[in-house]
Amino acid sequence: MSRDASRDASRDHLQSEFADDPEMQDLVELFVSELPKRVAVLRSGLESNALEQVQRVAHQLKGASGGYGFPMIGDCAARVEAAVKTGAALEQIRRCVDELAELCRRAAST
Amino acid sequence: MTGSVLERSRVLIVDDSVDIHRLLKIRLRDQNLDIITASTAAEGLRITRETMPDLILLDIDLPDKSGFEVLAELKNDPLTHDLSVIFVSGSVESQDKVRGFDLGAVDYVTKPFDMAELRARVRSALRMQRLVRLLAQRAHLDGLTGLWNRAHLDVRLRECVDAARRHGRSLSLVMCDIDHFKELNDTYGHPFGDHVLQEVARMLEEMARSEDICCRYGGEEFAVILSETDHLEAMKVAERFRARLEGTVWSAHEDLRVTASFGVSSLSLNAIKSPEALLNSTDTALYEAKRTGRNHVVLAQPDASLRLSAVRSAAG
Repeated sequence: MSRDASRDASRDHLQSEFADDPEMQDLVELFVSELPKRVAVLRSGLESNALEQVQRVAHQLKGASGGYGFPMIGDCAARVEAAVKTGAALEQIRRCVDELAELCRRAAST
Repeated sequence: MTGSVLERSRVLIVDDSVDIHRLLKIRLRDQNLDIITASTAAEGLRITRETMPDLILLDIDLPDKSGFEVLAELKNDPLTHDLSVIFVSGSVESQDKVRGFDLGAVDYVTKPFDMAELRARVRSALRMQRLVRLLAQRAHLDGLTGLWNRAHLDVRLRECVDAARRHGRSLSLVMCDIDHFKELNDTYGHPFGDHVLQEVARMLEEMARSEDICCRYGGEEFAVILSETDHLEAMKVAERFRARLEGTVWSAHEDLRVTASFGVSSLSLNAIKSPEALLNSTDTALYEAKRTGRNHVVLAQPDASLRLSAVRSAAG
Protein backbone atom coordinates (compact mmCIF):
# COMPACT_ATOMS: atom_id res chain seq x y z
CA MET A 1 0.00 0.00 0.00
CA SER A 2 1.32 3.39 -0.89
CA ARG A 3 2.06 5.61 2.08
CA ASP A 4 0.55 8.64 0.36
CA ALA A 5 -2.78 7.00 0.00
CA SER A 6 -3.08 6.30 3.70
CA ARG A 7 -1.99 9.75 4.80
CA ASP A 8 -4.76 11.74 6.39
CA ALA A 9 -4.72 15.50 6.13
CA SER A 10 -4.31 16.37 9.79
CA ARG A 11 -1.39 14.01 10.30
CA ASP A 12 0.29 15.40 7.25
CA HIS A 13 0.23 18.87 8.78
CA LEU A 14 3.26 20.16 10.53
CA GLN A 15 1.96 22.18 13.42
CA SER A 16 3.70 25.15 15.00
CA GLU A 17 4.84 24.60 18.57
CA PHE A 18 3.21 27.96 19.28
CA ALA A 19 -0.16 27.11 17.78
CA ASP A 20 -1.77 27.59 21.19
CA ASP A 21 0.04 30.82 22.01
CA PRO A 22 -2.41 33.69 21.39
CA GLU A 23 0.43 36.18 21.12
CA MET A 24 1.87 34.21 18.22
CA GLN A 25 -1.19 33.22 16.20
CA ASP A 26 -1.23 36.10 13.70
CA LEU A 27 2.51 35.97 13.39
CA VAL A 28 2.64 32.23 12.70
CA GLU A 29 -0.15 32.62 10.17
CA LEU A 30 1.81 35.33 8.34
CA PHE A 31 4.97 33.25 8.45
CA VAL A 32 3.22 30.19 7.04
CA SER A 33 1.42 32.21 4.36
CA GLU A 34 4.76 33.52 3.12
CA LEU A 35 6.49 30.12 2.98
CA PRO A 36 5.39 29.33 -0.60
CA LYS A 37 7.00 32.59 -1.71
CA ARG A 38 10.24 31.61 0.01
CA VAL A 39 10.17 28.17 -1.59
CA ALA A 40 9.60 29.79 -5.00
CA VAL A 41 12.69 31.94 -4.47
CA LEU A 42 14.69 28.84 -3.48
CA ARG A 43 13.58 27.02 -6.63
CA SER A 44 14.21 29.91 -8.97
CA GLY A 45 17.65 30.28 -7.42
CA LEU A 46 18.32 26.64 -8.16
CA GLU A 47 17.02 26.90 -11.75
CA SER A 48 19.10 29.99 -12.56
CA ASN A 49 22.11 28.60 -10.71
CA ALA A 50 21.99 31.60 -8.33
CA LEU A 51 23.22 29.57 -5.40
CA GLU A 52 23.92 32.66 -3.35
CA GLN A 53 20.18 33.35 -3.42
CA VAL A 54 19.48 29.78 -2.27
CA GLN A 55 21.97 30.11 0.55
CA ARG A 56 20.56 33.48 1.67
CA VAL A 57 16.93 32.30 1.87
CA ALA A 58 17.95 29.06 3.56
CA HIS A 59 19.98 31.05 6.05
CA GLN A 60 17.01 33.26 6.90
CA LEU A 61 14.71 30.26 7.31
CA LYS A 62 17.29 28.56 9.48
CA GLY A 63 17.37 31.51 11.83
CA ALA A 64 13.67 32.28 11.97
CA SER A 65 11.75 28.99 11.74
CA GLY A 66 12.50 27.88 15.27
CA GLY A 67 11.15 31.16 16.58
CA TYR A 68 7.86 30.44 14.84
CA GLY A 69 7.64 26.96 16.26
CA PHE A 70 8.97 25.02 13.25
CA PRO A 71 12.39 23.75 14.34
CA MET A 72 12.25 20.96 11.73
CA ILE A 73 12.11 23.56 8.95
CA GLY A 74 15.00 25.39 10.59
CA ASP A 75 17.12 22.24 10.76
CA CYS A 76 16.36 21.35 7.16
CA ALA A 77 17.14 24.90 6.00
CA ALA A 78 20.46 24.61 7.83
CA ARG A 79 21.24 21.53 5.74
CA VAL A 80 20.47 23.46 2.53
CA GLU A 81 22.69 26.31 3.62
CA ALA A 82 25.51 23.93 4.57
CA ALA A 83 25.21 22.08 1.25
CA VAL A 84 25.63 25.30 -0.73
CA LYS A 85 28.37 26.58 1.55
CA THR A 86 30.42 23.43 1.25
CA GLY A 87 30.04 23.35 -2.51
CA ALA A 88 28.00 20.16 -2.67
CA ALA A 89 26.87 18.83 -6.04
CA LEU A 90 23.84 20.55 -7.52
CA GLU A 91 21.88 17.29 -7.31
CA GLN A 92 22.46 17.05 -3.59
CA ILE A 93 21.45 20.68 -3.05
CA ARG A 94 18.32 20.01 -5.07
CA ARG A 95 17.45 17.02 -2.88
CA CYS A 96 17.85 19.17 0.23
CA VAL A 97 15.70 21.94 -1.27
CA ASP A 98 13.01 19.38 -2.18
CA GLU A 99 12.98 18.15 1.38
CA LEU A 100 12.72 21.73 2.67
CA ALA A 101 9.95 22.55 0.20
CA GLU A 102 8.01 19.50 1.35
CA LEU A 103 8.27 20.54 5.01
CA CYS A 104 7.18 24.07 4.11
CA ARG A 105 4.20 22.70 2.22
CA ARG A 106 3.16 20.73 5.29
CA ALA A 107 3.50 23.66 7.66
CA ALA A 108 0.17 24.85 8.96
CA SER A 109 -0.69 27.70 11.23
CA THR A 110 -3.44 25.87 13.13
CA MET B 1 20.79 64.70 30.81
CA THR B 2 19.69 61.41 29.37
CA GLY B 3 18.74 58.02 30.72
CA SER B 4 15.80 58.63 33.02
CA VAL B 5 14.46 55.41 34.44
CA LEU B 6 11.04 56.18 33.04
CA GLU B 7 12.25 56.76 29.51
CA ARG B 8 11.40 54.12 26.95
CA SER B 9 14.49 52.31 25.81
CA ARG B 10 15.31 52.14 22.13
CA VAL B 11 16.36 48.76 20.81
CA LEU B 12 17.76 48.23 17.32
CA ILE B 13 17.47 44.79 15.74
CA VAL B 14 19.99 44.10 12.98
CA ASP B 15 19.05 40.88 11.23
CA ASP B 16 18.65 40.01 7.57
CA SER B 17 15.42 38.10 8.17
CA VAL B 18 12.22 40.09 8.24
CA ASP B 19 10.67 37.10 10.06
CA ILE B 20 13.03 37.77 12.96
CA HIS B 21 12.09 41.47 12.97
CA ARG B 22 8.41 40.62 13.23
CA LEU B 23 8.96 37.90 15.79
CA LEU B 24 11.00 40.08 18.13
CA LYS B 25 8.69 43.07 17.78
CA ILE B 26 5.80 40.92 19.01
CA ARG B 27 7.78 38.98 21.58
CA LEU B 28 9.26 42.12 23.15
CA ARG B 29 6.01 44.06 22.94
CA ASP B 30 5.39 44.13 26.69
CA GLN B 31 8.88 45.40 27.55
CA ASN B 32 8.13 49.10 27.01
CA LEU B 33 10.65 49.42 24.18
CA ASP B 34 10.87 51.38 20.97
CA ILE B 35 12.02 48.79 18.45
CA ILE B 36 13.70 49.71 15.21
CA THR B 37 15.03 47.29 12.61
CA ALA B 38 17.75 47.04 10.00
CA SER B 39 18.42 44.25 7.49
CA THR B 40 22.06 44.78 6.60
CA ALA B 41 25.26 45.73 8.39
CA ALA B 42 25.47 49.03 6.49
CA GLU B 43 21.89 49.93 7.37
CA GLY B 44 22.47 48.91 10.97
CA LEU B 45 25.54 51.13 11.30
CA ARG B 46 23.76 54.08 9.71
CA ILE B 47 20.67 53.76 11.94
CA THR B 48 22.87 53.28 15.01
CA ARG B 49 24.61 56.59 14.38
CA GLU B 50 21.32 58.34 13.66
CA THR B 51 19.33 57.04 16.60
CA MET B 52 21.90 55.99 19.24
CA PRO B 53 19.89 53.02 20.52
CA ASP B 54 20.21 51.84 24.13
CA LEU B 55 20.70 48.28 22.96
CA ILE B 56 21.49 46.55 19.68
CA LEU B 57 20.50 42.95 18.97
CA LEU B 58 23.06 42.09 16.33
CA ASP B 59 22.91 39.04 14.10
CA ILE B 60 26.35 37.60 13.38
CA ASP B 61 25.63 36.38 9.87
CA LEU B 62 24.63 39.44 7.83
CA PRO B 63 24.62 39.67 4.04
CA ASP B 64 27.18 42.45 3.58
CA LYS B 65 29.55 41.84 6.50
CA SER B 66 29.66 39.90 9.73
CA GLY B 67 28.23 41.10 13.02
CA PHE B 68 31.74 40.81 14.44
CA GLU B 69 32.93 43.43 11.95
CA VAL B 70 29.95 45.65 12.77
CA LEU B 71 30.74 45.51 16.49
CA ALA B 72 34.42 46.22 15.86
CA GLU B 73 33.40 49.30 13.86
CA LEU B 74 31.10 50.50 16.63
CA LYS B 75 33.83 50.02 19.21
CA ASN B 76 36.29 52.02 17.10
CA ASP B 77 34.06 55.05 16.94
CA PRO B 78 34.04 57.20 20.11
CA LEU B 79 30.42 58.14 19.40
CA THR B 80 29.21 54.53 19.51
CA HIS B 81 31.92 52.99 21.65
CA ASP B 82 29.78 52.57 24.77
CA LEU B 83 26.62 51.21 23.16
CA SER B 84 25.41 47.81 24.38
CA VAL B 85 25.34 44.98 21.90
CA ILE B 86 23.84 41.51 22.33
CA PHE B 87 24.90 39.04 19.67
CA VAL B 88 22.13 36.93 18.22
CA SER B 89 23.20 33.86 16.37
CA GLY B 90 22.26 30.41 15.22
CA SER B 91 25.75 29.30 16.15
CA VAL B 92 26.30 27.65 19.49
CA GLU B 93 30.04 27.32 18.87
CA SER B 94 31.84 28.47 21.94
CA GLN B 95 34.59 30.06 19.84
CA ASP B 96 31.97 32.39 18.30
CA LYS B 97 30.70 33.31 21.74
CA VAL B 98 34.20 33.96 23.01
CA ARG B 99 34.96 36.13 20.00
CA GLY B 100 31.74 38.09 20.56
CA PHE B 101 32.46 38.75 24.22
CA ASP B 102 36.09 39.62 23.51
CA LEU B 103 34.96 42.23 20.99
CA GLY B 104 32.88 43.83 23.73
CA ALA B 105 29.39 42.37 23.37
CA VAL B 106 27.45 42.41 26.64
CA ASP B 107 25.66 39.14 25.93
CA TYR B 108 25.12 36.38 23.40
CA VAL B 109 21.85 34.59 22.64
CA THR B 110 21.23 31.75 20.27
CA LYS B 111 18.40 31.12 17.83
CA PRO B 112 15.80 29.79 18.14
CA PHE B 113 15.07 32.02 21.08
CA ASP B 114 13.80 30.99 24.44
CA MET B 115 11.63 34.06 24.69
CA ALA B 116 11.47 34.30 28.48
CA GLU B 117 15.24 34.13 28.54
CA LEU B 118 15.66 36.69 25.76
CA ARG B 119 13.35 39.15 27.52
CA ALA B 120 15.32 38.73 30.74
CA ARG B 121 18.62 39.23 28.93
CA VAL B 122 17.33 42.36 27.20
CA ARG B 123 16.14 43.77 30.53
CA SER B 124 19.45 42.96 32.15
CA ALA B 125 21.48 44.60 29.35
CA LEU B 126 19.33 47.74 29.51
CA ARG B 127 19.71 47.91 33.28
CA MET B 128 23.48 47.65 32.96
CA GLN B 129 23.56 50.25 30.20
CA ARG B 130 21.64 52.67 32.41
CA LEU B 131 24.09 52.18 35.29
CA VAL B 132 27.14 52.62 33.09
CA ARG B 133 25.66 55.81 31.67
CA LEU B 134 24.87 57.10 35.13
CA LEU B 135 28.38 56.34 36.29
CA ALA B 136 29.95 58.06 33.28
CA GLN B 137 27.77 61.08 33.96
CA ARG B 138 28.62 61.09 37.66
CA ALA B 139 32.31 61.14 36.83
CA HIS B 140 31.65 64.44 35.03
CA LEU B 141 29.50 66.04 37.70
CA ASP B 142 30.53 68.28 40.54
CA GLY B 143 29.28 66.77 43.78
CA LEU B 144 28.60 70.02 45.64
CA THR B 145 26.82 72.05 42.98
CA GLY B 146 25.55 69.45 40.51
CA LEU B 147 27.15 71.40 37.65
CA TRP B 148 29.49 69.73 35.20
CA ASN B 149 33.07 69.50 36.46
CA ARG B 150 36.43 70.47 35.01
CA ALA B 151 36.87 67.12 33.24
CA HIS B 152 33.60 67.66 31.42
CA LEU B 153 34.53 71.23 30.52
CA ASP B 154 37.78 70.04 28.93
CA VAL B 155 35.97 67.47 26.81
CA ARG B 156 33.09 69.68 25.78
CA LEU B 157 35.17 72.78 25.13
CA ARG B 158 37.24 70.82 22.61
CA GLU B 159 34.10 69.48 20.93
CA CYS B 160 32.46 72.91 20.86
CA VAL B 161 35.54 74.65 19.47
CA ASP B 162 35.92 72.00 16.77
CA ALA B 163 32.24 72.23 15.82
CA ALA B 164 32.20 76.04 15.83
CA ARG B 165 35.28 76.26 13.63
CA ARG B 166 33.97 73.60 11.27
CA HIS B 167 30.68 75.42 10.77
CA GLY B 168 32.07 78.94 11.02
CA ARG B 169 29.95 79.69 14.07
CA SER B 170 30.79 81.90 17.00
CA LEU B 171 31.57 80.50 20.43
CA SER B 172 32.34 82.26 23.69
CA LEU B 173 33.61 81.27 27.09
CA VAL B 174 32.80 83.09 30.31
CA MET B 175 34.75 82.44 33.49
CA CYS B 176 33.71 83.79 36.83
CA ASP B 177 35.40 83.79 40.22
CA ILE B 178 33.65 84.76 43.43
CA ASP B 179 35.39 87.78 45.01
CA HIS B 180 37.04 87.40 48.43
CA PHE B 181 35.69 83.90 48.80
CA LYS B 182 38.30 82.93 51.35
CA GLU B 183 37.27 85.79 53.67
CA LEU B 184 33.66 84.84 53.16
CA ASN B 185 34.45 81.29 54.28
CA ASP B 186 36.51 82.52 57.23
CA THR B 187 33.88 85.02 58.36
CA TYR B 188 30.67 83.06 57.89
CA GLY B 189 31.95 79.49 58.02
CA HIS B 190 32.39 76.82 55.37
CA PRO B 191 28.78 75.62 55.38
CA PHE B 192 27.70 79.11 54.33
CA GLY B 193 30.52 79.21 51.76
CA ASP B 194 29.20 75.97 50.30
CA HIS B 195 25.71 77.45 50.26
CA VAL B 196 27.00 80.43 48.26
CA LEU B 197 28.66 78.10 45.75
CA GLN B 198 25.43 76.16 45.37
CA GLU B 199 23.39 79.33 44.91
CA VAL B 200 25.80 80.72 42.34
CA ALA B 201 25.58 77.41 40.47
CA ARG B 202 21.78 77.50 40.63
CA MET B 203 21.65 81.08 39.34
CA LEU B 204 24.07 80.24 36.52
CA GLU B 205 21.91 77.36 35.38
CA GLU B 206 18.79 79.44 35.68
CA MET B 207 20.17 82.24 33.52
CA ALA B 208 21.87 80.01 30.99
CA ARG B 209 20.12 78.69 27.92
CA SER B 210 19.55 74.95 27.87
CA GLU B 211 22.33 74.47 25.31
CA ASP B 212 24.91 76.38 27.39
CA ILE B 213 27.33 74.27 29.38
CA CYS B 214 27.81 75.43 32.99
CA CYS B 215 30.75 74.00 34.90
CA ARG B 216 32.37 74.40 38.26
CA TYR B 217 35.93 74.89 37.14
CA GLY B 218 37.37 74.44 40.60
CA GLY B 219 37.16 76.10 44.04
CA GLU B 220 35.06 79.25 43.65
CA GLU B 221 35.58 79.45 39.89
CA PHE B 222 32.92 78.73 37.29
CA ALA B 223 32.93 78.52 33.51
CA VAL B 224 30.12 78.68 30.96
CA ILE B 225 30.47 77.65 27.31
CA LEU B 226 28.15 79.74 25.15
CA SER B 227 27.60 78.25 21.71
CA GLU B 228 26.67 80.47 18.76
CA THR B 229 27.38 83.53 20.89
CA ASP B 230 29.85 86.26 19.94
CA HIS B 231 31.94 88.22 22.44
CA LEU B 232 29.52 91.16 22.62
CA GLU B 233 26.58 88.92 23.48
CA ALA B 234 28.74 86.98 25.95
CA MET B 235 29.71 90.25 27.65
CA LYS B 236 26.01 91.03 28.11
CA VAL B 237 25.35 87.58 29.56
CA ALA B 238 28.24 87.98 32.02
CA GLU B 239 27.15 91.48 33.00
CA ARG B 240 23.56 90.34 33.60
CA PHE B 241 24.83 87.61 35.85
CA ARG B 242 27.26 89.90 37.65
CA ALA B 243 24.45 92.36 38.43
CA ARG B 244 22.11 89.64 39.58
CA LEU B 245 24.68 88.15 41.96
CA GLU B 246 25.54 91.57 43.37
CA GLY B 247 21.85 92.28 43.95
CA THR B 248 21.18 88.98 45.69
CA VAL B 249 20.07 89.22 49.31
CA TRP B 250 21.39 86.38 51.48
CA SER B 251 18.75 85.66 54.08
CA ALA B 252 21.24 84.43 56.69
CA HIS B 253 23.36 87.58 56.41
CA GLU B 254 21.26 90.43 55.05
CA ASP B 255 24.06 92.99 54.91
CA LEU B 256 26.34 90.73 52.92
CA ARG B 257 26.98 91.39 49.23
CA VAL B 258 28.59 88.59 47.29
CA THR B 259 30.22 89.68 44.04
CA ALA B 260 32.27 87.98 41.36
CA SER B 261 34.76 88.93 38.67
CA PHE B 262 34.34 87.84 35.07
CA GLY B 263 36.56 87.12 32.11
CA VAL B 264 35.09 86.72 28.63
CA SER B 265 36.74 85.45 25.50
CA SER B 266 35.51 84.30 22.14
CA LEU B 267 36.53 82.57 18.96
CA SER B 268 35.54 85.79 17.18
CA LEU B 269 38.60 87.46 18.70
CA ASN B 270 41.79 87.24 16.65
CA ALA B 271 44.22 84.41 17.00
CA ILE B 272 42.02 82.26 19.22
CA LYS B 273 41.69 78.92 17.49
CA SER B 274 42.19 76.18 20.03
CA PRO B 275 40.33 75.31 23.24
CA GLU B 276 43.57 75.96 25.14
CA ALA B 277 43.90 79.46 23.66
CA LEU B 278 40.27 80.19 24.45
CA LEU B 279 40.67 79.00 28.04
CA ASN B 280 43.92 80.91 28.49
CA SER B 281 42.62 84.19 27.14
CA THR B 282 39.45 83.91 29.26
CA ASP B 283 41.52 83.18 32.34
CA THR B 284 43.77 86.15 31.56
CA ALA B 285 40.75 88.44 31.22
CA LEU B 286 39.40 87.13 34.54
CA TYR B 287 42.76 87.88 36.14
CA GLU B 288 42.53 91.41 34.72
CA ALA B 289 39.06 91.82 36.23
CA LYS B 290 40.48 90.80 39.62
CA ARG B 291 43.50 93.06 39.26
CA THR B 292 41.45 96.10 38.28
CA GLY B 293 39.08 96.15 41.23
CA ARG B 294 36.89 93.00 41.01
CA ASN B 295 33.10 92.85 40.54
CA HIS B 296 33.25 93.62 36.85
CA VAL B 297 33.50 91.96 33.44
CA VAL B 298 36.65 92.10 31.32
CA LEU B 299 36.86 91.07 27.69
CA ALA B 300 40.02 89.32 26.53
CA GLN B 301 42.20 91.58 24.42
CA PRO B 302 42.86 90.26 20.93
CA ASP B 303 46.46 89.09 20.59
CA ALA B 304 47.23 90.31 24.09
CA SER B 305 46.87 87.01 25.87
CA LEU B 306 50.56 86.22 25.68
CA ARG B 307 51.62 89.61 26.99
CA LEU B 308 49.08 89.46 29.83
CA SER B 309 50.12 85.97 30.90
CA ALA B 310 53.68 87.25 31.10
CA VAL B 311 52.51 90.06 33.38
CA ARG B 312 50.61 87.57 35.43
CA SER B 313 53.51 85.23 36.02
CA ALA B 314 55.69 88.21 36.95
CA ALA B 315 53.00 89.27 39.44
CA GLY B 316 52.98 85.74 40.92
